[in-house]
Amino acid sequence: MNNNFGGIMLRTLVVILTMSVCSVYAYPKIDSILTHIDNKYSLVTDVKSRVDLTQQKVNQGAKKLQMTYYRRDSDKSFLIIMDAPENEKGNGYLRMGDNFWMYRKNTRTFQHINRDESIGGSDAKGDDFEDRKLMEKYKPAVDGSGNEIITDDTLGKIEVYKFEVAAKVNDVDYPKKIYWVRKDNYTVLKEAAYSQSGTLMQSAYYLKFTTIKGRDIAVKMLFVDEFEKGNKSVVEISGISIDKLDNDIFTKAYLENLSK
Amino acid sequence: MHYLFQISLRNLLRQKRRNILLGVAIAFGTMVLILASAFSHGISEVLFNEIVVYVSGHVSINFSDNGNQFAQVFHDGPRVLDIVKKEVPEMRNVQESMGVMARAIGNGKSDNVIMIGIDLKSGDEKDLQDAEKNFRMIVGDFYDLGDSTIENPVVLSEQKAKYLNVKKGDIIRVRYKMINGQDQASRLTVVGIFKPANIFMSAPVFLEIHDIKNIAGYGPNDIGTLFISLKNPKKDAIKIANKLQKKLQPSLAGIYGDLSFKEVSAQSTILGTKSDTASRNFLARTITFTDSTIKVTRDAVFISDSLANVLHVTTGDQIQIDFKPKYPDQKGFGLVKITGIFSPNKTVPSNVVLVNELDFYKVFYSAWPMNFMENKASFVPDTTNALYKTFSPEWNLLSRVKTTEQMTKQMREVGSKRIRGTSVSVQSMYESASAVLNLEVALHLITFVAVMILFFIILIGVINTLRMTIRERTREIGTIRAIGMQKGDVKMTFVLETFFLGLFSAVTGTILAFVAMKIMSMIKIDSGDNPIGMLLSNGHLHFAPTAVSVAGYIILIVFIAVSTAYFPARRASNKSSAEALRHYE
Repeated sequence: MNNNFGGIMLRTLVVILTMSVCSVYAYPKIDSILTHIDNKYSLVTDVKSRVDLTQQKVNQGAKKLQMTYYRRDSDKSFLIIMDAPENEKGNGYLRMGDNFWMYRKNTRTFQHINRDESIGGSDAKGDDFEDRKLMEKYKPAVDGSGNEIITDDTLGKIEVYKFEVAAKVNDVDYPKKIYWVRKDNYTVLKEAAYSQSGTLMQSAYYLKFTTIKGRDIAVKMLFVDEFEKGNKSVVEISGISIDKLDNDIFTKAYLENLSK
Repeated sequence: MHYLFQISLRNLLRQKRRNILLGVAIAFGTMVLILASAFSHGISEVLFNEIVVYVSGHVSINFSDNGNQFAQVFHDGPRVLDIVKKEVPEMRNVQESMGVMARAIGNGKSDNVIMIGIDLKSGDEKDLQDAEKNFRMIVGDFYDLGDSTIENPVVLSEQKAKYLNVKKGDIIRVRYKMINGQDQASRLTVVGIFKPANIFMSAPVFLEIHDIKNIAGYGPNDIGTLFISLKNPKKDAIKIANKLQKKLQPSLAGIYGDLSFKEVSAQSTILGTKSDTASRNFLARTITFTDSTIKVTRDAVFISDSLANVLHVTTGDQIQIDFKPKYPDQKGFGLVKITGIFSPNKTVPSNVVLVNELDFYKVFYSAWPMNFMENKASFVPDTTNALYKTFSPEWNLLSRVKTTEQMTKQMREVGSKRIRGTSVSVQSMYESASAVLNLEVALHLITFVAVMILFFIILIGVINTLRMTIRERTREIGTIRAIGMQKGDVKMTFVLETFFLGLFSAVTGTILAFVAMKIMSMIKIDSGDNPIGMLLSNGHLHFAPTAVSVAGYIILIVFIAVSTAYFPARRASNKSSAEALRHYE
């Protein structure tokens, strides 16, 4: 009987160990996924593109913004020039290192603003246009047993990993996020952002991609306001150019001259 | 002299109808003058004690964390409150002002709101009554705001409740930014709906201050903007603001704690270094690096070579800082990444780590450290240290400004994020609430001009009547001069007669003014959303006559009446008796 009991125990132990090993190795580490995403989306070249932002708000109709966006990550610079609507045309936003200015065409003045300032009166903010690595902002969230929170899921017919991250710095909009990334290439397809109180605040859907120099770049995104139902924004990126940008572009003078 | 009084008083009674009419005119003028003055003072009182107190405080201490105007927080709150309580005996009270912009969703309706905090716990009975006076509750109890069994109790105006389609007991969901910049959502429970006492109270929703601090992410030792109410704001506001400015000078910021890397730890002083170009260049010239290629960048963290040897760290390693916080409910902890190693010298000895101010303040403010200067093992640079001005202070005290324009410019400067750490500014109502004060000056001016026009119209009537009286009495003057009355006495008779007329009328006018004030202040005015409502006190006109102004106006009126009588009286008295007797009309 003792031998039998010992055998059962041994088999049970083997099963548990096997399951544990399987569960540990079934999923990739969240850190490695985040690093992969960071590498995937970081720009090795300069970029210029057109951005169309359509913002739908409850009882307010749609607001359409069109802008030209220049970005150079080597010195953390970007420039946004508003092309539409008419009342915003010629206005701009210039980020150079730690400085962030808003240019008003009417008064021909530059004003220092914060990263979280609205762009063209929309819900888009200055820091949405920055290149900031996920790994700098988030770390894997763990459950009560200390295991990373990651599971299998499907979006439509696509197999994805669904995983949760928690903020490791304070200066992020949301302290908790859940990502859905493709299993085959870690492309982010969906993300859900939660407040500290656990309320789902925003969902983002990455709808279309284009490949530039072997990197998948999202060119159509849908942001759904989960707090105030009915509010949503669609961002479409077109005319992407990765040619090296002239140094003069990231200057106040360039922005002023464009608006003349 | 006695007989001059008798003659003057008897003369007053001789022409009763005319003198009564004249007296009524003077009394009416006095009444209007005192009423207008009391109303004007009443408006001042309402503006200073009911508007300015809530809009900006008579004196305010403002905080801005790392240039973010929405993060109005100071992490060593008890220290500042102690300074205020000790240094401002002239104050009536000090309260935290808390306003958080939010998007609110009621029952199928949404709107932008400002969540305002009301302190129900720290004030005395009178403060509570003052607060309650502004909330004429239609539904619910104002004091339910302090009910800890309800989830975030809130009271709001009837207009806002109607817009959000909520009633007592309903839940309002709000989305807002916490002080650390993160988006947050909370549920507020409607415990009451009130009729706003003034236009400023229609838009916001009101929570108990501890609830709002809690949901906005304030720690137990964090405070928001302080509004100080003074007993005599006009006299003391600037003086107190200047005094507080001196008392709020920051010391050098520093942390004395354990540095650790892997299993090794060592004690050290951690100092912040300013990130502006001039300071970084000066630091680069003053300290010697073990590697000449090291640059003093904005994210620089330098450790001495001896400390680096002890900890076995090199450039690129992340070290942990643990320190004893000032308040026991916190945990002093931080992580910094080393960017360079320096050779210690007299200016910066071996047990020092220099951290760029952005990272330094993150650690420093996460749990306010014990005063590193009190630790004997700590390195405390004195003012003769070459790098003294390069080291970061506990906070940045902004210079006092004199005008609203300067204040706006300063705020813009802070907002540009060129100032790291917490910015502290002290403002009096003359800078922060100049729009309200300008309104008060304008109202005073309008009242004064209107009253003066009315008064001069009355005065012309008085002068004219006096001249008629004297002309009519010219022959009488001749008679009394002929029987021996001196010139001076004749003049004095007329002057005294006018004096008594003016005095009796002015006193009567004053009594009438007080009666009118009593009646008018009893009338309830429903101003609704009309901005004029902000000049009312709890829906009533507020009059504030002062003894000095009432006495002053009586003296002024009597003086003007006597002055106007003096010249015709002198002309009459200068006539010879024969000439006066020949006078005929």
